[in-house]
Amino acid sequence: MSPLSALRSASAPDFRILSLPKAAVTSGQAISYRELETIGNLPPATAPPPSAKAGAAGGSFESTLGQMVADVNGRQAAASETAAALLSGQNVPLHQAMIAMEEASVSFQLMVEVRNRLLESYQELMRMQV
Amino acid sequence: MINLLNGISDTTSALNAERTRMDVISQNIANVNTARDIDGRPFQRRQVVFETVLNQQQALAGAGTGETGVRVARIEKDQRPPRLVFDPGHPNADENGIVAMPNINIHEEMADLIVASRAFEANLAVVRNARAMAVQTLMIGKH
Repeated sequence: MSPLSALRSASAPDFRILSLPKAAVTSGQAISYRELETIGNLPPATAPPPSAKAGAAGGSFESTLGQMVADVNGRQAAASETAAALLSGQNVPLHQAMIAMEEASVSFQLMVEVRNRLLESYQELMRMQV
Repeated sequence: MINLLNGISDTTSALNAERTRMDVISQNIANVNTARDIDGRPFQRRQVVFETVLNQQQALAGAGTGETGVRVARIEKDQRPPRLVFDPGHPNADENGIVAMPNINIHEEMADLIVASRAFEANLAVVRNARAMAVQTLMIGKH
């Protein structure tokens, strides 16, 4: 089991801990260790198997990444286009230009984060003792 | 297209709608003393009517989140009677010296302007918060 599988289930709110056995709550008894253990062993309800996810995307991770970079580039282009239209006196609302620039900035940050994580894992692998 | 700032398109539509409302209010204030509109009658107060609009992209994607924006359905003329002012020297005065002035109440317009301005501000706060949430989410795993 990969250590990151715990993170996967953390990406969606998980309220299983709130649905404790009713009998234990209503009778005011302490929940036994055994009951807690079974709660902990439930499979993550929200995380689909990785293979199913990759199949649904229909492409390799590489092409997904390339698509993402193209997407970020497109956003940057759209933002600069909107800003240019605003500055050249066309009828573009100010907020639209600002929001376009914000979107471009946030998506660029996301791309940089993805790049950082990939590089980090690569370096981790290179440091591995054989 | 990755959707980083959720719900931002609805907020954009609201910002557009509020901008239109502010434009209409400024038009009303500008014409508060206009005795002749384009149609020859005293200027009638304009008011915007908003309507909900389903976000097209969301509807096409079948996301089913029911995200809805807002748009200006139409700009209507206020049908209240004109303000009658006694001003015999006015070129548009009738034989009794009465001039029909626009049915605009400047106090009402100022109050509407405050409402539009605050609504715009609230939508900007939504944008700011959406951005802050996205940036904070990108900080997951750092320190």
